[in-house]
Amino acid sequence: MLIYKIADVVFGLKPLYKYTPHLCENYLYTGDLEPEFSIVTTEDDIAYERSLSGAEKFPDYYLESLAVFRKLCDFVLGFRQGIIFHSSAVAVDGKAYLFTAPSGTGKSTHARLWREMLGDKVVMINDDKPIIRYIDGGFFVYGTPWNGKHHLDTNARAEIAAICEIRQGKENTISKISSKEMLAVVFNQTLRPKELVKMDNLLSILDKLLTSVPLYRLECDISREAAELSYGTMTGKEIK
Amino acid sequence: MKIKDGFILREVAGSYIVVAVGEAVKNFNGIINLNETGAFLWKILETGGTKEDLVSKLCAEYEVDENTAATDVDKFINNLSEAGLVK
Repeated sequence: MLIYKIADVVFGLKPLYKYTPHLCENYLYTGDLEPEFSIVTTEDDIAYERSLSGAEKFPDYYLESLAVFRKLCDFVLGFRQGIIFHSSAVAVDGKAYLFTAPSGTGKSTHARLWREMLGDKVVMINDDKPIIRYIDGGFFVYGTPWNGKHHLDTNARAEIAAICEIRQGKENTISKISSKEMLAVVFNQTLRPKELVKMDNLLSILDKLLTSVPLYRLECDISREAAELSYGTMTGKEIK
Repeated sequence: MKIKDGFILREVAGSYIVVAVGEAVKNFNGIINLNETGAFLWKILETGGTKEDLVSKLCAEYEVDENTAATDVDKFINNLSEAGLVK
């Protein structure tokens, strides 16, 4: 059994293929804590992932990695007040900013603009599927190995300072938005459980998230000005 | 008329929403926003009721005349039917 720690959850993994251990190698755990639970994947799990992947044909080893992630998220949602949040999460000066939008809108691109502007000050927590958890009254984002097509993630956590919905626009504008406006956006960018109890867990986490974290909407093009605007507004700092 | 199994009303961050759970997820995977009146009518339909029930309860709860209430209820029921949320 391999032991990993992701999102501060120590768990065992017994995979069928080598891909997932390779993917997760930066998250191997060598400490003294006992695993909190174990993930064992089966051919049924892979078949289930295949049934969700639509017309695209993915190899079994890749589908297995999705099954592992689903089981981890299921545990985190059920027992650790955490959810997967489809976003590009960057940390600057120890505070995390999450850019979210449907795939293809440009959240990774906007995170790249922050890196180009701020250089080493930016830590890429995760470019695609970070986990966020509610801990002691605050929200934290964690890196995971499920890191998107540019393979950007860090095995680290940071407190969430703001969440920003990205929309494509001809001019760069940013505004604070209400929890009501952000609710559907966030709901559609997380894994939605089928079971009633887990759905209530999810909605309870979203309730706390949307009432405690500052929420923004950025309409932007792909330019340094767009990054300056979002950074300046959300951090209150000037670019040096 | 009654809300179909698997559709639940919740209040999240001050908003009323409806989401699907269980088998209902197969046909609906998103989120529906309801206003306060919508949530009020939804709660009645969770246990079932006729259009006349909804109109009279709406009139009793809010200060609206029967015509306005009937129009609101019609609109609400149409929306629910179109979304496939009632049986």
